[in-house]
Amino acid sequence: MSARPTPPLGPMPIAPRDGPATPACPPAAGPHPTRAAVRRAATLEETRMPNLTRLALALALVLSAGLGLAQRSLEDLKIAFLYVGPVGDYGFSYAHDLGRRALVEHFPGLETTFIESVPEAEVEPFVDQLVADGHNVIIGTSFGFGDGLLAAAERYPDVIFGHATGVERSRNVFTFMADFWQVYYLNGLMAGALTETGTIGYVAAFPIPEVKRHINAFAIGASEVNPDAVVEVRWLYAWFDPAGAQEATQALMGEGADVFAFTEDTPTVIQVAATRGFPSFSHYASMLPFSPETVVSGHLVNWDAILIDVVEKILDGTYVAGNLADVDYFWGLGHDAVEVGAEPGMVINPLFEERLGGAVIDHPELGAISVTDLIMLRLEQMSVLPPAFEPFTGPLRDRRGNLVYAEGESATIDELLGMEWAAENVRGPWDGEP
Amino acid sequence: MDLDVLVVATVARALAFATPLLWAALGEVIAERSGVVNLGVEGMMALGAVTGFAVAFVTGDVWLGLGAAALAGMAGSLLHAVVAITLRADAYVSGLSLTILGLGLSALVGRAWVGRPLLNPMRTVDVPVLSDLPLLGPMLFQGQHLLTYAALVAALVAWVLMFHTRGGLVLRSVGENPAAVDAAGLPVRRTRYAAVLIGGLLAGVGGGYLSLAYRPSWGEGMVNGLGWIALALAIFSMWHPLRVVVAGLLFGACFTLAFRLQTVFPPELLTLLPYVFTVLALVFTALSRGRRAFGAPEALGRPYLRGER
Repeated sequence: MSARPTPPLGPMPIAPRDGPATPACPPAAGPHPTRAAVRRAATLEETRMPNLTRLALALALVLSAGLGLAQRSLEDLKIAFLYVGPVGDYGFSYAHDLGRRALVEHFPGLETTFIESVPEAEVEPFVDQLVADGHNVIIGTSFGFGDGLLAAAERYPDVIFGHATGVERSRNVFTFMADFWQVYYLNGLMAGALTETGTIGYVAAFPIPEVKRHINAFAIGASEVNPDAVVEVRWLYAWFDPAGAQEATQALMGEGADVFAFTEDTPTVIQVAATRGFPSFSHYASMLPFSPETVVSGHLVNWDAILIDVVEKILDGTYVAGNLADVDYFWGLGHDAVEVGAEPGMVINPLFEERLGGAVIDHPELGAISVTDLIMLRLEQMSVLPPAFEPFTGPLRDRRGNLVYAEGESATIDELLGMEWAAENVRGPWDGEP
Repeated sequence: MDLDVLVVATVARALAFATPLLWAALGEVIAERSGVVNLGVEGMMALGAVTGFAVAFVTGDVWLGLGAAALAGMAGSLLHAVVAITLRADAYVSGLSLTILGLGLSALVGRAWVGRPLLNPMRTVDVPVLSDLPLLGPMLFQGQHLLTYAALVAALVAWVLMFHTRGGLVLRSVGENPAAVDAAGLPVRRTRYAAVLIGGLLAGVGGGYLSLAYRPSWGEGMVNGLGWIALALAIFSMWHPLRVVVAGLLFGACFTLAFRLQTVFPPELLTLLPYVFTVLALVFTALSRGRRAFGAPEALGRPYLRGER
């Protein structure tokens, strides 16, 4: 678990993703993250590098050298990853490490290292050590690493730095983000069709733009299928609070919610909803095993989509330390950086296909259409570049009645990043509501 | 939501949330009554949670898991007992170390079980007869885990043993005036050991409830501060087993209401209340020192050495 992107827009304080083991009470006894362990991960892969790849690489090298680009070879790269949590957190850092492993698989022979449980304030000494060890690409995956990475980047102008979920860049620091807004919208379509009471429960971590964007996208999806559906939100004010998630879900059941989604770092909501057989949507990792019969779908991240693109562009000389000030990834379905589903490849849990396929709605633009067809259509539209459909498209009003987007207008990336308003069918407290 | 529905739901959820607190706080009350403070509750609960989950996962038997959880908590407390009682080191430092050790160790051994669901967790049950009572039935005796009902019974048993048996008298005397107990030829050290070990056992059960019943899974840091709340509870209850239940329900109600009343009431204030109560209880305790009815065990936190004053 780690610092999620918390763009410094809006009045909310930045809410760092604390390590999972931070006690709620006396700070004196905080468990210190286990001493970060450096691990080499590439020795095996190196020996497996097929000769053909080497040949192709050499060929590509010669070719592009002719074009005069600042070429680099794979052997030349040493990439280090800094994670804020343990890779065993089954959440944020775990997902980042899956990305790193997929990257190594994509580039056999690429040497990578990772350090887990890096305290956010101590990122610089770790960078010093990594640079001393010869690493020339360093990627930090927590919002809170930002200041440390930027400072280190000034001291090491020849090293390329990447900052996941970050917002500030420099000549040798790029930022990247895989975002779920489109996927939450798709989940919302399903939730709207599945709720019988018309109340959908949503357990959310912090009222920051990222989470608000996800709730809104979800709520807009739900109302597209079921104009009467409301999304009732309860806040944990923590990324990791299993007891809080349990009681928040119970409170939502008390309000009549019968379908559940969440943005926090435990599978608690799924487990609690399942005790009464209520459908839910998994978050970040595949949480289907926690309740195979009630998890409808969810959102999955593929950080490797971005990482592979970065490494390709470093290899062909597009990215060098010095020209990264404008390199900012905000990728969604179109780039395969995120995926909809309860597990990879399963968009809708087969157990729910009948209910969703049988639910035919009268769509204002598309006429009579089954919910499954609508989901697949939207998925298709958002999976192309540029996306043929944007969930935040006018006419769209916030719940106070203000027009946010007029007919034909859509949200820009900056507006997505700074979202503070609440969608019309969202209920519950909403800090910093404009 | 109607008021009576809200009240019933709040009490029921408060009890579910408070269950691990009750177990751990009862254990702490027993340990502190013998004069040994143990700040390692958080660590012992974490050890109990991870061990219980691992054993239940491997054997498929939650009750075996619960037994293992209890033993794990006890093993942690043994460490504390040796350091704080036999070696007479500072009990506060020793307890804190136990918390840090327990959290670290549980994270380490728990790696293999992160993100894995328990297929046969503890199920909720209704208490026969009592669950049919109007109001009280749905509040206290419906849809809870066995460990929740057992916690209520345990509090009752602890109260009887502590205040109505000779052993209980010895326990309390050791906590008040170990020299007098020693002079009477009764075992100070053995009593303290027993109290601390029982405390660890109960904390382990509390941890087991978390990973086997309340949220059947293991995740690093899943105790998430409950051990510290249990410590506060021991103080707030003024070291009395029955008041632990009342205080636990109060803490639990604040916690669950923070979510139920989020729309009308700032949740931070409600989650803060238990700690305000605890501080008030401490102040009250300090002011009423000398009036024996409310004070903390007189020898709390002081190692005992024969002949030393």
